[in-house]
Amino acid sequence: MAETPDTLSADLRRLEEIVRTLESDDTDLDKALGLFEEGVARLRAARDRLGEAEARVQKVLEDAAGQLRVSDFEE
Amino acid sequence: MNNQDSLFPTSPSSPSPPSSPTALSVSELIATLRRAVEGATGTVWIKGEISSFKAYGSGHWYFTLRDPESSIKCVMWKSYTIKVGATPIDGTEIYALVTPTVWAEKGELKATVQVMLPTAGVGIQQLNREKVRAALERDGLLDPSRKRALPPYPRSIAVVTSAEGAALRDIITVIRKRWSSVRLLVVGAKVQGDGAARDLCRALRLVNRLPGIDLCIVGRGGGSKEDLHAFDDEKVCRAVAALQMPVISAVGHETDASLTDLVADRRAATPSAAAELAVSDQGDCLRHVGSLSSRLAHGLRRRTGLVAQRLARSGDRIQVAMARRILEPQTLLDRYAGQLEALSPLKVLGRGYSVARLADGRVARRRADLPPGTDFTLRVSDGEVSSHAD
Repeated sequence: MAETPDTLSADLRRLEEIVRTLESDDTDLDKALGLFEEGVARLRAARDRLGEAEARVQKVLEDAAGQLRVSDFEE
Repeated sequence: MNNQDSLFPTSPSSPSPPSSPTALSVSELIATLRRAVEGATGTVWIKGEISSFKAYGSGHWYFTLRDPESSIKCVMWKSYTIKVGATPIDGTEIYALVTPTVWAEKGELKATVQVMLPTAGVGIQQLNREKVRAALERDGLLDPSRKRALPPYPRSIAVVTSAEGAALRDIITVIRKRWSSVRLLVVGAKVQGDGAARDLCRALRLVNRLPGIDLCIVGRGGGSKEDLHAFDDEKVCRAVAALQMPVISAVGHETDASLTDLVADRRAATPSAAAELAVSDQGDCLRHVGSLSSRLAHGLRRRTGLVAQRLARSGDRIQVAMARRILEPQTLLDRYAGQLEALSPLKVLGRGYSVARLADGRVARRRADLPPGTDFTLRVSDGEVSSHAD
């Protein structure tokens, strides 16, 4: 599984900031459009993260040579 | 004969009253007795049953310790009671580390208590636990400033527990229900019996070698005090403290916390509770994202609506078409890339227009809408200006 950093909370925090700015009425239109564009990109990232496939339960074992082995956990 | 004579009859056999310089004052007597009492035993462990327990608002505790033959009144000052995990109740048999003394005001024998431990099923194990706890405290491992925040949306969680236990099933069930895409890495370990502490240490060290783990849960379901013993082991506690990622300790117990609970960043009463702490509810998060999405669209609609109104009146058909498109930010949301390019004329048009709104929200369109003395609001590109028609 890809080990991408957890950006979901950063995306949500930034989205809240953008929405509050857009709702506050005192942004000029240039800036509002820029914020909107950024907001859409972050929404897409958040939805992608939320739509990730169901992950597996795995077990970790160490072999005699000290190597870690990861395999599916038998439930 | 007066009363005094009858109360204090003098007879040849009575000792003659001492002269006042040789009589002890009450305070002197008590002080002497106190020195004798305190010197007799010093600070000592005693065993007895609590009765007449009373906890005062000041934080001090007063009670009596008794056995079948004797009793002694005890006081435990706040500075010591705050270190006792739970408030004791009458009938509990305890070990108490006491210094006997004599209180002057009532001439009363008292034991001041520094430490109390319930005798039930503890003995050496409990005394050892206190020793480990003191060592961890001395090394700062119980310091609240060490506690790390849990990651809000972990992707990979390591679970250190018995691979066969109910604890693991509970954790898997709860996490699957709350956030299905979390990856769980089970590192099985012996959690009770001979060698459990050593095996737990091995498993915890192994977790530190796994890449990309956001959070660790270590624990087991409930059991007897003996079953939970490994979670009070000093080496296990130090291995928990050495984890490179935040850790939740969940050792099922009814009363006392395990020492791993005190070292971990968070503690949970049960493995299920640990799983709930570990991951957010995916449904809640989806609803939150949905709400942000519509607020984003609505925010832009509000912002562009005013400009669009001006455009609509400008008579320029191209601009009218453009205005219609920006009135539907939801469309933008779906196909934003191409659309945002098309919106570029707004970057120019956004400046220099303003809209006058009357108090009731109508837009002023002609002179008749603004008779002298009318208050209105002028909406300009970066906000509103309160205005007045002369």
